[in-house]
Amino acid sequence: MTELERELRELRSVLEFPPTPDLAESARRDLPAGPRPLWPRRLGLAAAVALLALALGLAVPPARSAILRFFGIGSVRIELVERLPEVRPGAPLELGDEIDADDAPFTLLRSDLLGDPDHVYLRDGVVTLLYGSLQRVRLLVSQIYGGGSAQELGKKLLEGGSSVEFSEIGGLEEPGVWITGRPHVLVLPGGPPRLVGDTLLWTRDGITVRLEGARSREQAVEIAESME
Amino acid sequence: MVGRPRDEAELVVRAQRSDENAYEELVRMHQEVAFRVAYIHTGSAADAEEAAHDGFVKAYRALRRFRRGRPFRPWLLAIVANEARNRRRSTVRRQALALRAAEQVRPGDAAPSPEAAVLARERRALLLEAIDRLSDEHRLVVACRYFLDLDVEETASALGIREGTVKSRLSRALERLREEVADD
Repeated sequence: MTELERELRELRSVLEFPPTPDLAESARRDLPAGPRPLWPRRLGLAAAVALLALALGLAVPPARSAILRFFGIGSVRIELVERLPEVRPGAPLELGDEIDADDAPFTLLRSDLLGDPDHVYLRDGVVTLLYGSLQRVRLLVSQIYGGGSAQELGKKLLEGGSSVEFSEIGGLEEPGVWITGRPHVLVLPGGPPRLVGDTLLWTRDGITVRLEGARSREQAVEIAESME
Repeated sequence: MVGRPRDEAELVVRAQRSDENAYEELVRMHQEVAFRVAYIHTGSAADAEEAAHDGFVKAYRALRRFRRGRPFRPWLLAIVANEARNRRRSTVRRQALALRAAEQVRPGDAAPSPEAAVLARERRALLLEAIDRLSDEHRLVVACRYFLDLDVEETASALGIREGTVKSRLSRALERLREEVADD
């Protein structure tokens, strides 16, 4: 600690703050009936529908590709299909034009945990932060502005073997969705379908975020919590 | 024997189950720092009291979203600080930190010689004036770290900025202060 820092610390003991009022009494008087339930009713319902959709999806014998049910999170729609479309394995990532993070069309969510990405790309309103390189991707974080139920900006196609779980993300009212199990297909506007692995999807401040490449669900949630 | 403070994590779990007594205890544990964080934002004791009160009520409503195992204080301070910022009157520049340096000698201090006491007072006044001349964002980060003794995570929550920004902002603020109060 420098001399100046020591002096500043010492100043603390001679500074007078106004006396602290008794907030415990007053806050208690105004407490609502109880903390809000973790998930709003609407989401509880959505979760039930999703689980039903999954059950149905798994129960139907394989046939020609058909959408069974879908539900969405933010601007991303998740569709359960019996068969995934053909996807060229190992196709190069097409994330759009590389841009400066400050030139993104909306204020990006950033993470102190991850630090600055190595590359930032923009394609049709979807901003993707790439950690690593196109050849060796460590982590991909795509952000799409427009978290409401408005326009569909991307979709994910799942078939039996993938599982979808709601995942609580600290500090956020609505849970995220963790897609795990078999690889699934991601379709973003303007890009070819892509086969992807475990993914966490969530929304924050009107931005839908998808995170791909985390080692585990716990790590994905930790990253999600760090993004603001 | 004086009972040791209740385990905060346990209180949070109980409060999440709507135990108002547990929450009241949590409020008591954190009301001073919450009020002071609100105060450095608003510069008014009345506004700070209102902001801290509303912050505690909102935090209770949001308590189920609090992730167990995480430190409670930064989460709470973020809510209170948000309330305080909303009350801040943008047209009126806050009166520095609206803090006064108490003139009394701290208990336990060795009585300084009159000359030393005068020098110390002058030095403190110089430092306070220099802090007063800092920009709002620099003054707030200094106040959080040194006057409220918040750690970097708590400071980031109290100011609504990233931890990296806390560090860089603090380093610039100290640099500026050093220039202002240089002895030579």
